[in-house]
Amino acid sequence: MAAEQALNRNVVDPLTAAPVVLHGVGKRFGRGSEAVKALDGVSLSFPAGSFTAVLGVSGSGKSTLLQCAAGLEQPSSGTVRLCGVELARVSDRRRAVLRRQRVGFVFQELNLVPELTVRENIALPLRLDRKRVAWAAIEQAAARVGLRPGQLRRLPSELSGGQQQRAAIARALVIRPEVIFADEPTGALDPYTAEGVIRLLRQSAAGTTVVIVTHQPEVTRFCDRAVFLYAGRVDGFIDTPQPAAVAARLHALGERASGDDR
Amino acid sequence: MTRGWMLAGLRRQPGPMIGTLAAAATAATLTIAAFGVAGAHSPLPLGRLAGADVVVAADTQLQVTIGTGYSASVQTAPLQAYRGMPAQLANQLARVPGAAAATGETGFPDGTVPPGMVDLIAVKADPGVSAGTLAQRIKATLDGGAGYTIATGAARADLANPALAVEISNGHALGGVVIPMLIITALFALAATTALSVDLRRRRFALLRAIGATRGQVRRAVLAEQALLAVAGGLLGYVPGTAGGALGVGALVAHGMLPAGSSAASNPWFAVLACVINLPVCVLSALLAARRAARTSPARAMRETHTERTRPHPVRVLLGLAAGAAVIVLSALALHSNGPGAEAAMALPLLMAGMAAVALLGPVLVTAAAAIVRPLAGTGPAARLALAGIRRLPRRTASAIIPIAMAVGLTGAIAFFNTSEAHAAAAQSAQAVTASYVLDGSGLDGEVLTQARDLPGVRAAIGITAMDIGVTDPNLEFLGGEAVSAGQISQVLDLGVAGGSLSGLKPGQIAISRLEASSGVMGVHIGARITVYLPDGTPYPATVTAIYQRSLALGDLLIPASVADGHTGAPAQYSQILVSGGSQRELAALAVGHPGVRLASRAVYNAEVAQNTGQNSFGDNVILGVIGALAAVTMINTLAVSTTERRGQLRLLSRIGATTGQLASAFRLQALFITVVGIAAGGAVCAGTLIGLDRAVTGSAVPYIPAVPAALIVTGVAALTFGTIMTSFAAMSHPPARHRR
Repeated sequence: MAAEQALNRNVVDPLTAAPVVLHGVGKRFGRGSEAVKALDGVSLSFPAGSFTAVLGVSGSGKSTLLQCAAGLEQPSSGTVRLCGVELARVSDRRRAVLRRQRVGFVFQELNLVPELTVRENIALPLRLDRKRVAWAAIEQAAARVGLRPGQLRRLPSELSGGQQQRAAIARALVIRPEVIFADEPTGALDPYTAEGVIRLLRQSAAGTTVVIVTHQPEVTRFCDRAVFLYAGRVDGFIDTPQPAAVAARLHALGERASGDDR
Repeated sequence: MTRGWMLAGLRRQPGPMIGTLAAAATAATLTIAAFGVAGAHSPLPLGRLAGADVVVAADTQLQVTIGTGYSASVQTAPLQAYRGMPAQLANQLARVPGAAAATGETGFPDGTVPPGMVDLIAVKADPGVSAGTLAQRIKATLDGGAGYTIATGAARADLANPALAVEISNGHALGGVVIPMLIITALFALAATTALSVDLRRRRFALLRAIGATRGQVRRAVLAEQALLAVAGGLLGYVPGTAGGALGVGALVAHGMLPAGSSAASNPWFAVLACVINLPVCVLSALLAARRAARTSPARAMRETHTERTRPHPVRVLLGLAAGAAVIVLSALALHSNGPGAEAAMALPLLMAGMAAVALLGPVLVTAAAAIVRPLAGTGPAARLALAGIRRLPRRTASAIIPIAMAVGLTGAIAFFNTSEAHAAAAQSAQAVTASYVLDGSGLDGEVLTQARDLPGVRAAIGITAMDIGVTDPNLEFLGGEAVSAGQISQVLDLGVAGGSLSGLKPGQIAISRLEASSGVMGVHIGARITVYLPDGTPYPATVTAIYQRSLALGDLLIPASVADGHTGAPAQYSQILVSGGSQRELAALAVGHPGVRLASRAVYNAEVAQNTGQNSFGDNVILGVIGALAAVTMINTLAVSTTERRGQLRLLSRIGATTGQLASAFRLQALFITVVGIAAGGAVCAGTLIGLDRAVTGSAVPYIPAVPAALIVTGVAALTFGTIMTSFAAMSHPPARHRR
C-alpha cells in the first residue's frame, strides 16, 4: 500500500516543472524473439534541484533509463521531457545542443578525451558550443572539485582514477547545467575515493538536478531519494535513504532476481 | 573547436594517425616519383641539326581512317622512319623570306634515301628572324603545312630521332598503364588506413557526442584532421618522391629503356598535385567511417567497445558481390578478346575489381573462414581466445587481411604474368627456330645471305629483320613483326602453321599470328585482303597466306623483306640469318670474313633468347619492387595499428590470469589465420587476373608459376605479418609504466 502511494506520488503530472520527466518509457534491444526489454513503461520525474540515485541489480535497466532520459538513446515507446524539451520532437542536432548547453555528464570510464589535457577536457562543452573559453573560469571549476592548477595541463592518463572523475565532474559543472547525469561515476573507485567524489558532486552541484545510476548503497547517503528498478520497471522509492535500508532493499531484489533465474 | 581537437590529437597521441600520415606520405611519394618518371626529359641528340632554326620533315605521324560512313574515325600513330621529301623542296624553303639557308639531310648517318629524296630539311634563319616566325612562313609556303611536320626548339630533336622518339612515347604509354596502377594501389592502402584510424577512435567520438557534439561537428573534426594529414603526407612525400623519380629514371637509363642523359621531372607543383590526389581519398574514406561513428547512438557506441556489428552492412556486401561479378565478367572478356592490346586494357580493371571485391567482402570472408576453422577452438585456451577475437571483430580482422591480399594479388599477378609470358616466349622460340645455325650481329646484308646460301650442304638460308608494322586491330597500332627474305621459310622456322602455307612469302603476301588474326582483334582468315603500314607509313596491301601459332618468338606479322627495303629508315640489313644444313666450319669462316657477324648454334641461340626475355622484364621488376614495398608499408602500418589497439584487451586478459605464453600463442594463431586467409584471397585475385591475361597473351590459360618466386612472396608476406603482429605484441606486453590509463 505504501509502495503504491509512493508510486502515485511520482506519477507524472503534465503540469510538472521537473527538468527530467519520463512518461511510459519503454526500450527494446534486438528484434523478434531475440528482443530484450530493457525498460518497460517507466514513468518518473526528477524535481528541480533533487539529488536522486537510481539503483537496481545488474540488468535492471538503470543505465538504459539514464541514457533515454539524457537523450543518448531513443526510447522505443513513451516520452522523455528534458529541461522542458520533449526529446522525440526535436532533431538529433537540437538534442546535442541541449546536452552541451544545459546537461552535464559523468561516466564510469572513458570520461575524458585522452589526447586533450585536463583543462581542455573541462572546456570541451564550451568549445563545442563555440563559446569563448575563460581559463580563469575553468580553473575555478577545477578548484571546486579539488584539482590543482598543475594537474590541469596534464593528460588524463597521467591522473589517478579519482582525479579523472573529479575532472569529469568539473567538465559537467563548467556549463552551470540544469541537470547532471552520472552513470556509475564511482564504479571503478575504492569506497573512500568514491565517497569523496559523491560528496564533491553533492556540494558543487547544489541547486542542480542530479541523477546518479549506481549499485553502491553508500552513495545514497548523499541523496534525497533512491529509485529502485527491477526488470525494466520502477520497483519503489526510498526518500532520504540510509545506506543500510538501501542495501537491504538491493539484497531483496538480488534474491528475487536469482529466484527468477532459477 | 575542431581545429584544436585535431591538432591536440596529432601532437599528443599520434598513434592512430601516424598510420594515415605514413600512408598519405607513401602515396604522395609514389605519385611524385611517378610524375617524375613520366615527365622525364630525355635530351635527344640534335647532331647536324643543331645549327638549324627550323627542321621540316614529311608528316611523322601515320593517319588512317578506320571504318566507313558515320562510324569512321581518323587515328594516328607516330612513325619510326621518315617518309622522305623531294630534295628540291630545300631550294624552295631557302627562298622563304627570313631563311638564310636550307639543306636536305638524311636522318641516319648511313641512311638509305632514294635518289632525289631527303629525310629532313634544315633551315637556318636570317639574323633577327625568330625561329617561330620562320616556321610560320615555311608553313604558309607549304600551303598550311598539311603533310609536313615543322619543328623548332626542342621538338627538332624528336624529328632527328624518330625511332627513339617513338620508343620514349611507348615508354610513356606503358607509364600510362603502370603509373595509375601504382597510384591506385597506394590510394587503396591510404583509404584502408584512414578508415581504420577513424574506426579505432569510435568510442572517443561517442563521448564527444554524449557531451553535446553534433554529428556534423564530429564529421567536420574528422574531415579537418584527415585533410590536414592528407596535405601533410603530400608535402612529406615531396623529397622522397623526387629522389624516387630520379632513381627510377636512372634505372630505366641503365637498362636502355630511356636514352642516356635523361633526367626525372621535378617540380614543387607535383607535391601540390599529390595533396590534391590524397585529399579526396582521405576525406571520402574518413567521411564514410565518421558517418558510421556519428550515426550510432552515443550510448551504443560507448557500449560497443570491443565488439562490432558481426553482420556486415548489406550495401557493403552488395557492392562487394558486384565487384566480384565484375572480376568474372572481365576475366571472361579477357578470355575472348585476344592480342597483346588486351593485356594493357584488362590488367588494371581486373586487378582493381579483384582488390575491391576482397576489400568489400573482407568481413564476410573472415566470418566464413572462422566458421571453417571453428573446430580448432577445442584444441586449447589460446586457440579459443584467438578464434573469439576473429569472430567478434570481423571488420577489424578484415582490415588486417586486405593489405596482405593486396600484396599477394598485385605482386603475384605482375610476377607470374611476366614469368608466364617469358616462359611461353622462350618455349615458343625454342620450338620455332629449327635452323641448325644462326648468324647475327651487324652487317648482315644481302651479300652475306647469298654467300651463306651458296655454301655446300646448306639447304636454306633465310634473313629476318625485326620491325614494327602498323595494323588496325581494330585500332591503329604498330606491332612487332619480321621482314623475311625470299626462300623456304619452313626449312628454318617452325611457327606452328595453323592455316595456309609458310613455304615462301612473296610480295603481296603476309603471314599473321593466330592471336592477332582472331576475331575481335584483326578478325581475318586465309585469303583475306588487308593493308598494313611499313615503318615509314607506306601502306602495304597484302593477302593473308599463312596463320601461325608461335607469335611470342618472332612477333605477330611476317612480310617479305623486299617489300620493307627502303621503308625502315635503316639500310637493308637482316637482324639474323637462319641457316639449315651446312657445316659449322664453313659458316664460321664466313662470319670471320665479315666483321661484326657472329655464328651461333641453335642451342646457344635459344639459350640467349631465353636469357634475354628474362632480362626484358626489368621494368616490371622495378614496378614489382615498388608495389611490394608499398604493400609492405601498408601491411606493417595496418597490422601494427590494429594490433596495438588491443592493448586494453591484452591487459584485461593478463589480469585475469592468462600467461604471456598463452597470449603470445593466441596472437600467433591470429597472425596465422590472417596470413592464410590473406594469401588465399590475394591468390584468388591473382589467379583470376592471370587466367584471363595469359590466355590473351600466350594463348594458354595456365599461368607459369615458378616455385622460388612464389615461395618468396608467401614467405615474405608471412614473415612481415608475423613480424609485425608479434613485435607489436611484445611492445604491448612491456608497456611503459608511466601510463596508468
